Amino acid sequence: MIVLVILLIPFITGLLLLLIRNAATIKLMALASAIVNLAATLSLAFSTQASSSYSVSWINFLDINFALGYDGTSLIMLSLTSLLFPFIIMAGMKREQEHPGLLYALILFTQSALIGVFLAQNAFLFYIFWELTLIPLYFILLLWGGEGRRNITFKFFIYTLTGSLFLLFGIIYLYSLTPGLHTTDFSVFSQLNIPANTQVWLFWVLFIAFAIKMPVFPFHTWQPSTYTMAPTQGVMILAGVMTKMGIYGALRFLFPIIPAGVLYWQNTVIILSLIGVIYASVIAFRQTNLKTLIAFSSMAHISLMVAAMFVLNYYALQGLLFQVLSHGITIVALFYVVMLIEEKTGTLELPKMGGIKLLAPYMAILFLLIVLGSVALPLTAGFVGEFLIITGLFQQSIWFALFGGFTMVLGAIYMLYAYQRVMLGEKRPDLENITDLKRIDYIVLIPLITLILVLGIYPQPVFNLVETSVNTMQNLLVPVADVLPSLPL
Amino acid sequence: MNEITSAIQLIPLQHYIILSVTLFSIGMMGVLFRRNIIAILMCLELMFNSANLLLAAFSAYHSDPSGQVFVFFIMIVAAAEVAVGLSIVVMMKRNVESVDINLLNRLKW
Amino acid sequence: MVEQIPNINLAWLVPAFPLLGFLVTGLANRKLKHNQAGIIASAMVLLSFLVSVVLFFILRASGQNEATVTLFNWISISGMNIPFALLIDHLSLTMMLIVTGVGALIHIYSIGYMHDDERVNSFFAQMNLFTFSMLLLVMGANYLVLFIGWEGVGLCSYLLIGFWFKNPEYNYAARKAFVMNRIGDLGFILGIILLFFTFKTVTFSEIFVQASGFQVGAPVITLITILLLVGAVGKSAQIPLFTWLPDAMAGPTPVSALIHAATMVTAGIYMIARSSILYNLAPLTLNIIIVIGLATAIIAALIGLKQNDIKKVLAYSTVSQLGYMFLALGLGAYSAGVFHVTTHSFFKALLFLGAGSVIHAMGGEQDIRKMGGLRKKMPLTYFTFLAATLAISGIPPFSGFFSKDLILSKAFEHSIILYILALGGALITCFYMFRLLYLVFFGEQRLAGAHPHEAPKVMTIPLIILSVLSVFGGFLNIPSLFNGDSEFITFLQTAVVSKASEELSHSTEIGLILGSLLLLGLVIFLAYRTFVSKSIIPAKDGEPMPFFSKLIANRFYIDEMYTTVFEKPFGYLSDFFYNKVENSLLDPVVDEIGFTTSRVGTLLRKLQQGNMSFYLFAMVAGILLFIIFILIV
Repeated sequence: MIVLVILLIPFITGLLLLLIRNAATIKLMALASAIVNLAATLSLAFSTQASSSYSVSWINFLDINFALGYDGTSLIMLSLTSLLFPFIIMAGMKREQEHPGLLYALILFTQSALIGVFLAQNAFLFYIFWELTLIPLYFILLLWGGEGRRNITFKFFIYTLTGSLFLLFGIIYLYSLTPGLHTTDFSVFSQLNIPANTQVWLFWVLFIAFAIKMPVFPFHTWQPSTYTMAPTQGVMILAGVMTKMGIYGALRFLFPIIPAGVLYWQNTVIILSLIGVIYASVIAFRQTNLKTLIAFSSMAHISLMVAAMFVLNYYALQGLLFQVLSHGITIVALFYVVMLIEEKTGTLELPKMGGIKLLAPYMAILFLLIVLGSVALPLTAGFVGEFLIITGLFQQSIWFALFGGFTMVLGAIYMLYAYQRVMLGEKRPDLENITDLKRIDYIVLIPLITLILVLGIYPQPVFNLVETSVNTMQNLLVPVADVLPSLPL
Repeated sequence: MNEITSAIQLIPLQHYIILSVTLFSIGMMGVLFRRNIIAILMCLELMFNSANLLLAAFSAYHSDPSGQVFVFFIMIVAAAEVAVGLSIVVMMKRNVESVDINLLNRLKW
Repeated sequence: MVEQIPNINLAWLVPAFPLLGFLVTGLANRKLKHNQAGIIASAMVLLSFLVSVVLFFILRASGQNEATVTLFNWISISGMNIPFALLIDHLSLTMMLIVTGVGALIHIYSIGYMHDDERVNSFFAQMNLFTFSMLLLVMGANYLVLFIGWEGVGLCSYLLIGFWFKNPEYNYAARKAFVMNRIGDLGFILGIILLFFTFKTVTFSEIFVQASGFQVGAPVITLITILLLVGAVGKSAQIPLFTWLPDAMAGPTPVSALIHAATMVTAGIYMIARSSILYNLAPLTLNIIIVIGLATAIIAALIGLKQNDIKKVLAYSTVSQLGYMFLALGLGAYSAGVFHVTTHSFFKALLFLGAGSVIHAMGGEQDIRKMGGLRKKMPLTYFTFLAATLAISGIPPFSGFFSKDLILSKAFEHSIILYILALGGALITCFYMFRLLYLVFFGEQRLAGAHPHEAPKVMTIPLIILSVLSVFGGFLNIPSLFNGDSEFITFLQTAVVSKASEELSHSTEIGLILGSLLLLGLVIFLAYRTFVSKSIIPAKDGEPMPFFSKLIANRFYIDEMYTTVFEKPFGYLSDFFYNKVENSLLDPVVDEIGFTTSRVGTLLRKLQQGNMSFYLFAMVAGILLFIIFILIV
């Protein structure tokens, strides 16, 4: 039952927000809803009881239920979503925004849809929520976005929608394979025993939607421009949670349902992701726009996670799920600082900045801490995740580990470069009036940074949370390993 | 009633068919090639009536009166249609000062 | 299970004090009045030092050789259990005492040196953070805790090199240090992972027990040791990753003393000495270490000959001395390497602090061509500097003599060519150190308008203490030649397994020592002739000089080579990816799909002209076609 509550709180609050005029009230209400949601999710995460679920029959003649439930993987995703949204909402507090009622309603609708994705127990419901996330987000980007928003949002929308179309096709195909009265339950899907030859092409049909959402090289081209143009809260949702939705979808659809297809394409995808790691990191180095730079950095990190996902051994999966959390927190904090920088300097172009540390030393320190989290310095959350991921890659091949490990070096190169360009150096005459952080900024940043550090020093709770599902997942590919040699390679 | 039926049957069926095909074709050509909307409407009527003629002829030959009933239906529908059509023509004339059909190209978007 | 030593749990206090100092000075940054931060920070390091001393005696009293203190479980998942644990044994105690002891002196010195800096509080916070990281590094009971400290010192050196962040060059130097360290760290972490997969643990004691099951020259051990070596090369500034260290002199001088001479750069030596059991199994790696060490020792020494910045000279001498330590490691004489680390930390800290004192007195001037004649103005600094110079040159009975002689004799045991090359490097070291000494302290004062003066007490007292250590530090390990029993080496034996080697006969050793002393005397005399009697001042920048001098003065163009070979192509690659691949290939393909769709639409739109007669025509034609189709089929 509690899962239904988690799903509905943001949605209902969102509807109520549309009726309210006072901006401050709206934001407080949205924040309250997000915090209640966080509390509910944490109660799930740390409850000792059996997992909560909810199911009513919905479309009878198709035998589709409105079934919600969760496991360790969903729980990590849910925790991340519920954890980040209070901060995403706070990122707009004490700031002038147009049509706050609509904006926060849309943000909460997005949250609701995202939660729906992570809770859905059948593919039909999953697909509905998957697409539903896009609609409020589309309007957030279109109405509050920056320069060139019309074309960029359009491209983003069409691109991801095209991917989803393949997914829909795949779902319908799987549906048609189910025995007897057809169904879309994940549990039935995973017992289909689809012929290996079918799995080989079905893989791409299903994967492409997730690949675009994550994004995996070379399906990433919507991402930099969208991130650059998006309003801060939009980009926080995109980078913090939406990318993880792609990972979650892949974990739900690919590994249990078409393990042979995954095994067949495993190395291809890992290599693509590692190319993505290097490619994005190298590109990030020469970006002059801070947001674009961080967009590429995010892509590099996500690519590493995708590689880890496809290695699919114990360490990689533990690292992946840990990194999901840590990357979400870090990237939201990063984009918050980027917003502050843009507010204070009026630009995002690195060459136009410099010497801000002299005027805003505390902002510089917090920025540096986040940057360090992002470059995976030990005792930050990023290190634990990346260390386990690289360990997992190493188990597959030392070369994978080497190229994956390049994020450590390249990340240090471009992040410190960005930090230096923004914060260090001489004062610039045109940036004389910069002030340091306000109280609201501390309220947002200090908890995020604390989380980054706490997770880095004591990561154990997260490991325990996902242990069971990691154990289930790591064994998925083992039984199909024998089928493979018969495939035309 | 019988006299009418037998009167109709005085002329062989082929002739009716040939006549109605001719009339239909004339109407169709008129619809396709005339630009004056009134002429087009008249041609439409012509096509209707060729069909009516055929219906009446077959009805007589098959001794089935429902064909002739159909003819009446069609005539009523055609009358209603002409009423609508002509009012559109009047509106068009008022708006564009012309009854040329090629000026009515606003349907394309 | 070894029984728990009472009170050994105090060990957590050692890193805790500097961490506390970091938090206090860092968080109360704005509140602390001048000197307060410095006093707090110094006190914390001093407390750490005292606790280390206490630990030393506790361990000695217990009669055991090592103790592990587990604080909490850091990463614990199935098959991987990495506790956050500290290891107290003779090696880590040695390093702890060096780090906290020399560190405390440098902290105290900094109170005076950084007195006028507006960000003095941040400075001390970062120094304390550095001490904390370094302590974690040397105290970690497994490779991953070591790695925390390993990266931590990298971070602190980034912060401290770029301490004066207004200057873009300093920032560049800081980034360069961090990135080069990170390259090494990548190798290091891969090594740790391979260790983990080989031994299923990263804890030192467990690994070393299991290592006995491997044959000498086992490929996996060789690979592990090479990967770890990559890390050590980055951290200890060996060829090819050494260029960051001279640039790191951008930081305040105490930073150079603490980080880039006495402690951080020795981390690589420490790590290899710590892994001595593994390295003993990998003769190939040891040979690589010998080559790297010797090459670094000689090349850095050559470069040191022509440097004119007082700190740059010392920086290259550090690189060169680190080369010697590597040489010792490569020869399997790990303890000798650690011994040189110890003495080096005394005299190099002293040299840097002395240099800081000089720079302080000269009002920030660092060019030795503009100094001179400081002997009379700053007698105390002069004498301490002289002591350090004698120590680094290896003149008995100064500390450097004992440690360097140990390495040289090991080299002689290995091969005579090694010995000659190593001795050559030592002679060059001696020459440029005396060149520095003579140019700075002898002759006439060359910078007009400067009023050199002796530094305040808070700076000179550390100098005096360090000079005492530099002079007598060698007596920690008196070889059997002088009726000693090599106490230091024996002390370390429980933690570091050096390769067994034949002892040289005493007569050979005496011969070697006398020979090298003769040469050293010659070199000192030569330096005296050149720089004092003839008072030759090195050429100004840009003046023509012979090819070889130019090559040396420009540091063999290694920096330029790196710029051309790595940095610039990296930028080009970035541009290429962004402009050519991203914006001319991938993105256009996606866009093209969209454009094609819309173009087809444009084409089809032409059918919808709104021409009624066309529609009618199409309708009729359609019906006709349909009829024909039906008739035919």
